Amino acid sequence: MASLKSEDDQARFARVVQPHLADAYALARWLTGNRADAEDVVQEACLRAFRGIGGFAGVNARAWVLTIVRHAAYTWLGKNRSAALLVVDDLESIERQQATGGDASGEGPQTPEAALIEKADARQLETAIAELPVPFRETLVLRDVQGLDYREIAEVTKVPIGTVMSRLARARRRLMERVAMDETKGGR
Amino acid sequence: MTPPSDPRLLVHAYVDGELDPAHALEVERQLASDPALAAERDRVEALRRAIAQQLPRENAPPGLARRVEAALGLRAARAVSGPSWRALAASVAVAAFLGSGATWLALSPGPADADMVVANHMRALIAPQPFDVGSSDRHTVKPWFNGRIPEAPRVVDLASEGFPLVGGRIDVVGRNPVPTLVYRHRQHLISLSALPIGRATPMPPEQIAGYNIVSWAENGLTYWAVSDLAAADLNTFAKAFRTAGPG
Repeated sequence: MASLKSEDDQARFARVVQPHLADAYALARWLTGNRADAEDVVQEACLRAFRGIGGFAGVNARAWVLTIVRHAAYTWLGKNRSAALLVVDDLESIERQQATGGDASGEGPQTPEAALIEKADARQLETAIAELPVPFRETLVLRDVQGLDYREIAEVTKVPIGTVMSRLARARRRLMERVAMDETKGGR
Repeated sequence: MTPPSDPRLLVHAYVDGELDPAHALEVERQLASDPALAAERDRVEALRRAIAQQLPRENAPPGLARRVEAALGLRAARAVSGPSWRALAASVAVAAFLGSGATWLALSPGPADADMVVANHMRALIAPQPFDVGSSDRHTVKPWFNGRIPEAPRVVDLASEGFPLVGGRIDVVGRNPVPTLVYRHRQHLISLSALPIGRATPMPPEQIAGYNIVSWAENGLTYWAVSDLAAADLNTFAKAFRTAGPG
């Protein structure tokens, strides 16, 4: 039980986990898609982190915390959004096929101008990111919103750096195409 | 890392600063000779700028840290645990003392509980909202405390006296979670914390870091009212609370 933990564990938790609550919450929100569930996921993750605080090797606290948050979020997705994870499995196999087939460029019919992309507003970007399949979404969020480097993302998402690169490229391309689609529809 | 050969993937790694100098030079040479590749680089950079501008990193919601601690049974550990919001608030308070020249408090042992009550009030003013539960209805505020702390405080609405109830929150004083009611008088907020007696003894009205404090003992509790209200108004509030019926 938590109350039997030593003072050292509590102090460690405060030092290792608590500084990264905002990052933990941000990742949980992007993965669950809403704030209330994100809070639940963060609480669950903190519980796991507290229990496992002795196992923290002391290298990269943020990556360690985010790894646990991601696990907790996946558990939550499995319970509440199992469809999202099913789709993910399909996409992963497609991704693997395409990777082995050598077609990693993903060049679509639409290649918007940089100036157009830069005009994208918050709502457009939020929507586009929310529509990304989970593995692409988490990679993009960890890099472009939360600022982790490739090595950290590989550690958190448990894939090789090459996969981080291809997922990131794919996620960004989807966002660009989505933004271009919004513009040509004349939505704004 | 060994980068893949696809130059379109490498452009991402280049923009992200992930390439070693040799590979970066190679990509730069390709960018110079391949307009399509250069356009891709511009798009990636544009997207990164758009995300950075439009989706700034969000703070954790107020109270999340406290809810996590409560869930872990860490509430008591808060006071000793590293940089926390309360430690921050305390350091703000200390900085305020030093800055205001009222250094005696920072230098002498001083009334530690009064310091913490003031720090809690300051923190509440800095937060997006000064309460955990916002309501002018004492029948909403009082039950909220049930289950969160051993005993709900007396909650009265003093709107007719000019001090409407705006909500309640749980503060930490020393290592004790304590109920705090939040009242308003014109544009000024009043934090009223109820501390277990023995933990603190009332003291004469005084000012800490520019805030007036009034404290009194009642039914086994000491009440501490903190506000930037004038001392006379805060005394009026304290009197109104003391003489109001049971909450």
